[in-house]
Parts: sequence; structure tokens; C-alpha cells
Amino acid sequence: MNIIETRNLTKTYAGFTAVSGINLHIPKGAVYGFLGPNGAGKSTTMKMFLGLVKPTSGSFVIDGMSYPENRTEILKRTGSFIESPAFYGNLTGEENLDIIRKILGLPRETVDEALEITGIAQYKKRLAKKYSLGMKQRLGLASALIGKPPILILDEPTNGLDPSGIHETRALIRSLPQRFNCTVLVSSHMLSEIELMADSIGILNHGRLLFEGTLDDLRRNAALQGYPSDHLEDTFLAMVEEDNRQLKSGV
Amino acid sequence: MAALVPVINMAVRHEIYTGSGASPVNILFDANWQLMAMLNVLLVVMCACIIYNSEYADNAIQKMRMLPVHESGMYFGKSALIILMCMTVLLIEACGVVFCIDYWFKGNRGDWDLLFKSFVYEMVLIIPAVLFSLFIASAFKNMWTALGTGVVCVFMATMLPAGNFLLSLFPFAMPFQIFTNTKADNISNFIIAAVIESVVIIIMEFLLIKIRRLSE
Ligand SMILES: Nc1ncnc2c1ncn2[C@@H]1O[C@H](COP(=O)(O)OP(=O)(O)OP(=O)(O)O)[C@@H](O)[C@H]1O
Ligand SMILES: [Mg+2]
Repeated sequence: MNIIETRNLTKTYAGFTAVSGINLHIPKGAVYGFLGPNGAGKSTTMKMFLGLVKPTSGSFVIDGMSYPENRTEILKRTGSFIESPAFYGNLTGEENLDIIRKILGLPRETVDEALEITGIAQYKKRLAKKYSLGMKQRLGLASALIGKPPILILDEPTNGLDPSGIHETRALIRSLPQRFNCTVLVSSHMLSEIELMADSIGILNHGRLLFEGTLDDLRRNAALQGYPSDHLEDTFLAMVEEDNRQLKSGV
Repeated sequence: MAALVPVINMAVRHEIYTGSGASPVNILFDANWQLMAMLNVLLVVMCACIIYNSEYADNAIQKMRMLPVHESGMYFGKSALIILMCMTVLLIEACGVVFCIDYWFKGNRGDWDLLFKSFVYEMVLIIPAVLFSLFIASAFKNMWTALGTGVVCVFMATMLPAGNFLLSLFPFAMPFQIFTNTKADNISNFIIAAVIESVVIIIMEFLLIKIRRLSE
């Protein structure tokens, strides 16, 4: 069963199409990797799911609900982290999470849980604006994970983390569906990273969906279409290059 | 700080004021309210900017938009906060005025009723200014732009001719009105105007939020 589905979802900015008629199918209880180079439209798509950006055309359904009628319901069930972390700089990490906890009506101990899971428990009394980049990133992650929401939308969560942080975060994301019984939509530039976390993937380039399916599907597909298939990263790059070439010749 | 205005003013020039036969509340308001009101409005503008700056500074507003709360709810929360602050400030100012009356107008008491009414009146008239400065603050991401716009509006308000009813309805100009100097029917006009303005500004804020959402 799919927990998120889109139908010809499109976003146009003053004549420029950032997301172009994509049909995504994100299965429940999976980690779904959202892959694409810079400017592919990953963040834009995720923002549409969170109601931050209004689709130009097309529609999507999240857990049977849609905007704007079920805005509150959707946001209650979605933990999110988009691009750079967003927080109150003049409050401590703990206070930041506490505000979110109160808005979501969660029990008190969820704050410490979230701090613990993301490994910033020891810095919880420090002002958020004095956090290092990686700590801010972890705070952002904590604010998405707090209360174990059934849907998680994470935009490049490993950006700015140190190697051990990257490793931890990947392992954490990998384990989330089993631990919290949730669905994760995670974006990245690197297939090698997605490979370690995701069950299914969608590849986006210039706002268009090039591929959607499991990693095995991708391998099979690549072999069939003559893309290099022993290294999936190469497959991904070849697909994107091929698409760019087609776009150019089309114009 | 504005509470000190009448005290200092009295301390320096008390002979002039105590000499006249009018009611002390009247005299004190006449002599000091222009400056006190300006300080009040500037304080409101500054607080509004600082409050919204904490939303915009580290992009906290984005997080809030991703949570099941309404942005308009945030606006009302902030309005309530600043209105509460205004009440405190006006109360302190009232204490300042009471002190002046008690200290310099010994033989002339019994104006507490008038004093109370004056400050309630000022309280009502400052509400549109609070809502308007929060509207300005929420419209600009950059605190300095918002602060600059607010301060320019305040100075515009101080330069408006006081006699013109329509011009003195400008949100930042209303708190400069003085209860004891206003005719009874004008008082109710001003209060009605304050209520209408508040509603209009709230509608403007709703539109701002809506337009911003649609244009993203
Ligand atoms: N507010 C906006 N106005 C105009 N264009 C925008 C706006 N936001 C995004 N875009 C454009 O939409 C396209 C997709 O942007 P998006 O942020 O979704 O990319 P992305 O896949 O997340 O890239 P990255 O990997 O760099 O984060 C980009 O070309 C970007 O310039
Ligand atoms: Mg992005």
C-alpha cells in the first residue's frame, strides 16, 4: 500500500518548471530514497508535501488525506526537516524541542528521547545559535523525529555531518521503519548513500521523474538499457547525463 | 521610561503648572502626553520588530509552518503579548502621574476617576498601533527594514496636524489623543475607529499570510 501518491504533480515558478508532472508511489513502512542532482526539484516536491509550496497543477494524497482540507492532520503525522534546519536561535536546543512538543501535544519525555537518539543530549542547554553546523543539523533531525511520527520527510539529513555522524544517521534512518513503524522519505545527491538506506528510490532530474522502483529494478533496468550496472552510482550519473543530452537536443 | 517624563518635567517646571487652576490630570496630560505617547509607540514598534525577528532569524518560521499551527495564531499570540506589555507600561505611567499629582498638587485631589478613564482610553487607542506594527514586522523578513518603516510611520504620525479627525485616525497617531481634551462624542468616535481599524489590520494580516503562501 502507498502512503504517499502524487498525480502529475507540477510546480512552475514564473515560467520555469521546477517539478514537472511527477507520479510518485511511496510504499508504507519503507525508506524511500529521493535522488537527483542540484536543482532537480527534490526540496520543492517535499515542500509541496508539507504545504510550504502550493502545487501549480496535479495533486497528491498523504495517508488518504490532502491539502488544504486536512492540513493540520497531515502535519501532525509528519516529522520534517527541509534544507537547512529551522529553529529559534535565542533558545536552547531543549527549549526548541519543547515548543514543538507542546504544539504537537506530546508527553514530556519525548524531548529527551529525541535528544538522545540524535546524540545532542549533552548540548541541550546550549543556545541553538551557538551550535555547530552538525549540531544544528542534528537538532533539525531531532525536531523531525520527536514523537515518532508515522511519516518522516527528510531533506538531505546527512548534509554537514562528520563521517561518524553520517554513518550514525544512515543507520538510524535505515532502522526507523522497524523501530517506530514509520515511512521515511529521504533525499540525497548520492546514490551510494541512498543505496545504504532505501528500499525504493525515485530519480529526479530537471523536475522529471527518470526512474522509480526498487534498487534491484534499477539494476535490471540499467542492464537492459545498456547503462553501466556494476556500480549503481555510475548508472545514476549515466542516466542523468543521457537525460540532459536529450533535453538539450530537444531544445 | 515614559513614566519618568511627567515626573522630570514637573520637577523642573512645577511652578508653571501648579499655578494654573485646571485639573491636574488635564495639566499633566497636556504637558507630557505627546512625548510619553511617542515613547510608547516607539516601544511597541521596537518590540514588534524584535519579536518577529526571532521568528525570521534562524528560519524558525519555516519550522512553525511545518507544524500543525496557524500563522495567524502566532500573530494573535504576539498581539496579546504586546498588549499585555502596553498595559504594564501604561500602569507604570499612571503611577508616575499619580506620584506627580500627589507630590505637586497637594490641595487638588479627587481626580482618580478621570485619571483611570484617561488611561483606559489610551489603552484602547494603542491597540491599533500594536496590531499595525506587528503587521509591518511580519511583512518584512529583515528586522531593520521593518524597524525603519515603523519609525518613519511614527514620525509621520507626530507630524500630522492634530486638529484633523481623519488624519488623526492613522493607527500610530491615535495614541497621541488625550482623553481630557477630546469632546465626549469624539471620544466614542475614536473608540469606534480604533475597533474598526483593528479589524481591518487583522484582515490585512490574514491577506498577507494568504498571499505569501500562494506566491511561494
Ligand atoms: N522560490 C523559488 N523561486 C524560483 N525558483 C525556485 C524557487 N525555489 C526553487 N526554485 C528553483 O526550483 C528548482 C528546484 O529547486 P529545489 O530546491 O527543489 O532543488 P533540489 O533538488 O532540492 O536541489 P538541491 O539538491 O540543490 O537541494 C531550482 O532550479 C530552483 O532554482
Ligand atoms: Mg534541496
